Amino acid sequence: MLSREESKKLADKALSFSTFPECEVNVSSSEAAFIRFALNGITTSGFTVGQSLSISSVRDGKRGSTSVDEFDDRSLREAVQRTEQLALIAPANQESVPPLGPQKYPVIENYPASTAQARNQVMIPHIRAIIEGAKARSLVAAGYMERVSETRAIANKQNNFAYGKVTDAYLSSTVRDAAGTSSGWAAQPAVRIEDIDGVAIARSAIEKCLRWKNPKRLDPGKYTVVLEPTAVGDLLPRIASGFAARAASEGRTFLSKPGGGTLVGEKLFPDSITLRSDPFSQLYSVLPWGAATMPADRMTWIEKGVVKNVFYDRYWAAKVGHPATPAPGSLLLDGGEKSLDDLIATVERGLLVTRFFYIRTVNPQTLQMTGLTRDGLFLIENGKVTSPVVNFRFNESPVRMLQNTIGMGKAIRTRGMEDGMVTPPLVVKDFPFTSISDAV
Amino acid sequence: MLSRRVFLQSSSAAALGSRLFGAPTDSTKPNPELENLGAVALSEAKKLKATYCDIRIIRYRRQQLNVRLNPEQGTGKILEVPSISDTGSFGFGVRVIADGCWGFAASPLVAKDEIARITREAVAVARANAALKSQPVQLAPVPAYRVRWQTPHERDPFTVPVEEKLDVIRAAASEAKKGNGIFAAGSNLSFRSEDKYFASSVGSSIQQLNLQTYAGVNATAVDTKRALSKTRRYQPPQATAGYEYVPTMNLTENAGLIRQDVIEHLNAPPVTPGKKDLILLPSHLWLTIHESIGHSTELDRALGYEANFAGTSFLTIDKMGKQRIGSDLINIWGDRTTERGLATTGYDDDGVKATKFPIVEKGIFTHYQTIRDQANLIGEKESRGCCYADDWSSVPFQRMPNVWLEPGKPETTLEDLIAGVEDGILIDGDGSYSIDQQRYNFQFGGDAFWAIKGGKKQGMISRVAYQSRTTDFWQACDGIAGRSYWQQWGAANDGKGEPEQINGVSHGCSPARFRQINVIQTD
Repeated sequence: MLSREESKKLADKALSFSTFPECEVNVSSSEAAFIRFALNGITTSGFTVGQSLSISSVRDGKRGSTSVDEFDDRSLREAVQRTEQLALIAPANQESVPPLGPQKYPVIENYPASTAQARNQVMIPHIRAIIEGAKARSLVAAGYMERVSETRAIANKQNNFAYGKVTDAYLSSTVRDAAGTSSGWAAQPAVRIEDIDGVAIARSAIEKCLRWKNPKRLDPGKYTVVLEPTAVGDLLPRIASGFAARAASEGRTFLSKPGGGTLVGEKLFPDSITLRSDPFSQLYSVLPWGAATMPADRMTWIEKGVVKNVFYDRYWAAKVGHPATPAPGSLLLDGGEKSLDDLIATVERGLLVTRFFYIRTVNPQTLQMTGLTRDGLFLIENGKVTSPVVNFRFNESPVRMLQNTIGMGKAIRTRGMEDGMVTPPLVVKDFPFTSISDAV
Repeated sequence: MLSRRVFLQSSSAAALGSRLFGAPTDSTKPNPELENLGAVALSEAKKLKATYCDIRIIRYRRQQLNVRLNPEQGTGKILEVPSISDTGSFGFGVRVIADGCWGFAASPLVAKDEIARITREAVAVARANAALKSQPVQLAPVPAYRVRWQTPHERDPFTVPVEEKLDVIRAAASEAKKGNGIFAAGSNLSFRSEDKYFASSVGSSIQQLNLQTYAGVNATAVDTKRALSKTRRYQPPQATAGYEYVPTMNLTENAGLIRQDVIEHLNAPPVTPGKKDLILLPSHLWLTIHESIGHSTELDRALGYEANFAGTSFLTIDKMGKQRIGSDLINIWGDRTTERGLATTGYDDDGVKATKFPIVEKGIFTHYQTIRDQANLIGEKESRGCCYADDWSSVPFQRMPNVWLEPGKPETTLEDLIAGVEDGILIDGDGSYSIDQQRYNFQFGGDAFWAIKGGKKQGMISRVAYQSRTTDFWQACDGIAGRSYWQQWGAANDGKGEPEQINGVSHGCSPARFRQINVIQTD
C-alpha cells in the first residue's frame, strides 16, 4: 500500500510532466482478501493487489483524462501527454469551474491495522462457525467474507494535496434447508474486523431459516411493516439523488416545487425523521474529501421532518450564488432506543421484513422503486411474530417510506446486497406489496 | 507484499504491455514472450505440487466520449459539456488447485519474479482453505490449444481519430436537442479492448483480442409547471465489433425520432392497468430473456453456489430435460459464437473453445450453462465454455453466454403480431427491471409505450410496467416475428458473484407477442 510520502512523490512526478495550466491526479493503491463459501465448504478465495493513477489535464476549459496502473516515469509522462493531446481535441466544457486551490481537509482516519492486514487465517474461524452451525442442524450455508483496504491521494497544479486511507470488513451468510424450501440471512459490516461475530451471524441466519418453514400465502396489498435495519439500508440511500440542487431546481426530482424552485424548508416528513451525512462517524471508514475533491463535512438533509439542504456542485453553486456543499454520503438516519422486539410489539397486524432484493428505479422523479422481500418475511399479529409469509414484490419510494414512518428503533450500520447506511429499524404504515414471489 | 521500490524502478513496464500485445499480426500463435511469462506460473505451481494452474495476462483499454447539451440557468443558452477519457489497465491473475481447493491471486506488476510470487500466494490461499472444503474440485477434460484469436473487425476503434468520434456524438446530441421542446440532450460512444493471454497446465497457450463498441443518444423533456420530466433513449445494439459498426448505428437519424417521442411521452395519458396483450420489441425483450431465462439456467445458481448473492434457480437439477417453461414456439440457445455478441469470444477462461448449445427446446428446459469444475456435478463429460472473469484481478467463474431466442416463421411480420391484438401495448427499449432470487416473479418497465387497439398501433401511453412469472410469461407467447426482424441487444453491466463482477452479454430475438400479461400503472 502506498504511504502518504510515496503517493505524494508519484503525484508530484506526474504533475512535473504537465505543460497545461491545470492538471489533477488521483493516486490509489488497494489490497483485498476474500473467501466465498457455499454448500458448506469454501468455493473461491483470493488475494489481490491493485494500483491506479488517474490524470486530467485542462486548458481553456478543454479537458482530457486517462488512468494508468504502471507507475514508471515513462508511463506517467506518456499518460500526461495523452491527456493533453485529448484536451487539445476536446470541445471546451462550457460548465467548467476553476481548479481548487489548497484546501483544509479534516483529519479523518479510521484505519485499524487488524482489518487492513487480515488474511484468510483471520476469516476462516468465522466461516467455520457458520458452516459447523449449519451442518449441526442439517442445513446448508453459503456466504462471503472480505476485507478491503485502499489508500488514495489527490493533487493538482494549484498545490492542493490530500491523502487518505480506508479499510472495511464484511461477513454475510445465507442458510437454507437441504430441500431448498427455507432460507435465512444475516450479515455484518465492520471497520474493525475483530467486531465481526461469525457465531452471531450463524445463529441469526440459522434461526431465520428454521422459522421460515411452510410460509403462508397472503394477498398483496398495503401492510404495516417492521423493516429491519438492513431493509431500510437497502432502500433509503436511493433518496440521495433527489437532493441534487440543480436537478431539483430544474424540475427533475421529488424536491422540485411545481412552478419552479425547490422544496427546501418544507416539512415533508414526520418529526422523527432526521437524515444526515457524517463522515466523522467511527462506524464508517471514509476519505477526508468528497465529490469533486471538496473537503468532507457533516450535512443535515432532513431535520425533524423538514428538508434542510440540497447539495450544490461547484458549477451550480457558482451559477446561483450559493456555497458549494458536500454530496450525500456516510448516511445516518437518527433512531431511538427501542429494540426490534419493542417495535414488533407495537404492531397489531403487519409484516416483518429481513431485507430487500433487486431494487430498481421505476420512476426517477418520484423515486418509486420496485424490489422484493427475501430470506425472512414474517407475519406479526397482536405484537408477536406468528408465522412465515411467502415473499412479496413491492412498488414504493423511500420518500413515502419516510413519510409513513410511525416508529423507529436503535440505529446500526447495515450492508445488504443493495446498499447500506447507519439506520434504525422502522415501523412504516401502508407499505404497498403488489404481487407474490414464490422464490426461496 | 508488493515491493514499491521494485515497482518504481520498473521503467520498462509501460513498453511491456504494448510490446506483448502490440498490433494484431498475421501469426496464428501467441507471442513467445507471453508464453515465457506464462510458463513461470505453470512451473512454480508444479514445483509447489498444485494439481492445476492457469494464468491470464490481460491489458485493457477503454475510451469513453460523452457530450451533454444543457440549458444555461436564466438565459436558456445551450451549454456544451463534453468529457473524454482514455484509460488502461494491465496485470495478471493466477488460479491454482492445491489440496483439492481453488486458490487465486493477482497483481498489476507483470514481471517474472512477481508472477512466481503471486503463484505462491495463490497456492497458499488454496492450502489455507483446504480445511473447509466440501469436496475436491474436479475438472472436465479439455484439449490443449496453441492459438491466436481476435474479434472480427475492419477498423480498430483505438486507431480512429478522436475528432471523428466527437463529430458523431456532437451531431447526434444536436439533433436530439433541436427545437424548443427538449430540455437537455446527450450522446456517447465508448470502446473497450481486452488483450488476453491464457496459459494452463493442461498445455494451452491462447492469445485473444476482444473488442466491444457501445453508443447512445438521449433527450429529456421537462414540464416545470407540473414538476414532471421524461427521458427517451436510443441505444443501438452493443456489439463486439470494430469502428466499422459505428456508421451503421444511425445515431443522428434516431436522435430525431427520440426527440419527437419524448415530447409525446411527457404528455401521454397513463395506462389503464389490467391484463393486456404485449408486443415486445427486441430492444426490450432482450432484458426479459436475460433475467428470466439467462440467469435461471446458470448451473452455479441451480447448485447453490450463488445462494448468498444473486440467488438460486427455480430450475433445479431434477428439472433438466423435463420442465416446460415456454410454449412450443420457444427455442433458446446459449451461444458464445454468435456474430457481434458481447459474450462472443474464441476460448473461455478455462481454455475451452467457444460453443453453442440449446437451453430451451420447444418450450422444454434442456441444458444448463456450465464450466469445467461443474460438468461432473450433473453427469456431463465436458464444459459448455461459460467460464470468464471481468478483469485480470477477478476470479473466473460461470458467466452467461449470449442467450438468444429463435425467430418465428419467416413470413410472420410485426404488423401480423399487432393485427392480432385487441387491447395491448407495444414496448420499445428497456426501463426498470427486477426479478426475484429464484427467477420466478419479475417486473419490467420500458423506454416507450404505445397503445394497441383493435389490431392497430395508437398513440403513446405512459406509466407502464408489467409483472409476471417466468413460466407463465413464456407459455403466454403465441407469436414471434420472422428472421428478418431478429436483432441482438445486450448489457455491458451484468453483475454476479462476490466480489461482484460486471460483464457484457447479448440477447437476440425478434418481436414477440405475449397474451394477457398483468400490467400495472406506476408513478
